[in-house]
Amino acid sequence: MTHINVGRPENHRRDLVIVAVLLILSWSLAGLDSSQALGLTRVLRGSVLKPFLAADAAYEQRAGLATRAARLETERDDLYIRLQGATDLERENRELRAQLSLPERSPGSFVVAELVPGRPSIGDSHSFLLRSLALVGTHVPTGVSIPDGLVGVLRSISGGTGLGDFWTHPDFRVSVRSATGGATGIVRSFVAEGGETLMLVEGVPYQARMAEGAILETAGLGGVFPGGIRVGTVIEESASRSGWSHSYLVEPAVRPGAVRAVTAWNRASFVSGSAPQDSSATSFDEVVEEGGAVDGL
Amino acid sequence: MVVVALVILHFTLYRFLVRWPAMPNLLVGGLLLAALRMRAGYAAFLGFGLGVLEAAMGLEGLGTTSLVLALVGYLGARSRDLLFADARHYVFVYLFAGTWIAEVSLILAMPGGPNLLGALVLAPVSALGTAVVCGAAESVAASIRRP
Repeated sequence: MTHINVGRPENHRRDLVIVAVLLILSWSLAGLDSSQALGLTRVLRGSVLKPFLAADAAYEQRAGLATRAARLETERDDLYIRLQGATDLERENRELRAQLSLPERSPGSFVVAELVPGRPSIGDSHSFLLRSLALVGTHVPTGVSIPDGLVGVLRSISGGTGLGDFWTHPDFRVSVRSATGGATGIVRSFVAEGGETLMLVEGVPYQARMAEGAILETAGLGGVFPGGIRVGTVIEESASRSGWSHSYLVEPAVRPGAVRAVTAWNRASFVSGSAPQDSSATSFDEVVEEGGAVDGL
Repeated sequence: MVVVALVILHFTLYRFLVRWPAMPNLLVGGLLLAALRMRAGYAAFLGFGLGVLEAAMGLEGLGTTSLVLALVGYLGARSRDLLFADARHYVFVYLFAGTWIAEVSLILAMPGGPNLLGALVLAPVSALGTAVVCGAAESVAASIRRP
């Protein structure tokens, strides 16, 4: 390659001022909260990046169309079978609650949305976009899940688009309980020695034990996640023990990679008097007071 | 022209380029080539803009990516005086070193803590690919400009 003529002599001081301003701008961008970052991302994805995203979406739609159709057919059959079982279960539940004089079970409604995972060129993806017009008016933060289990937390919403974090995000936390109700703890992501991302449940009381293979589900404390969503399965006790509590490694119920359709919990429709009766607190307000904002911090 | 082509190619082939971490980073390669022809301040500004676009595309690291690419643009333009000579392999070394530094910086700054495998193995492979692809593109463009 031959020498490139760079033109007039450079004014280093002016360049340094420009760089300093850009550093401050970058620092400000790093400090944006989720809703502000979503606003900027939406503007860029709707303007400069729009042609690239449209081409990408068109490719994704065409690629593997037959595979997707076959998978949808399998899912439809599976859902049909589940629906048949769920109808009977719902009726039985209603009858039992009526006999025990418990209030109507109302876990709130769910919004079905399309999930677009982040694809950073460096590092792993921890964030996602949700797209659905029904998201408007949904309170955030709120849990995002699929029938198999917990996917992550929706942080902010602008129009019909939301920005959220997968459970793999280092800042993600959710309070859990064992399906039998015997032990509780806080789950966060954990990178194992082989580089595999697992979950770690911490803060399990010293006197409580979690057996290998125990199923963990959301406790519903804090009002960010509805109770009873499957989070993962206990693998073994972790070597790291802090004070008077246990930690356990957990195999996650959902690997976020292939998830495309999810449900976001619309907790605006949650009736406070109908908090899950198997939780330790007696009302939703008390649960919020005791649990604080531990979910999805 | 070759810089614009590399940046457009990066965003067009984004899905395939991010699938494997060791793929060439055409965005950083394009930025480094642009920095050879620009004043350091403008190169930093270009890096900042490309960083914001990259973060919006990948939904990660808005501040981090813009900061790292702004610094890469600035340092790329400033290092031109130190490194540049009338030899083809200097561009190759410049692209390799610049991409490696950029990728290691991004890996170390991303949430979840440092990824040693990425920094020590994947980043140099990606930098090598970037140097080959972008160096070849620059050579082809130069031969077209001066037949």
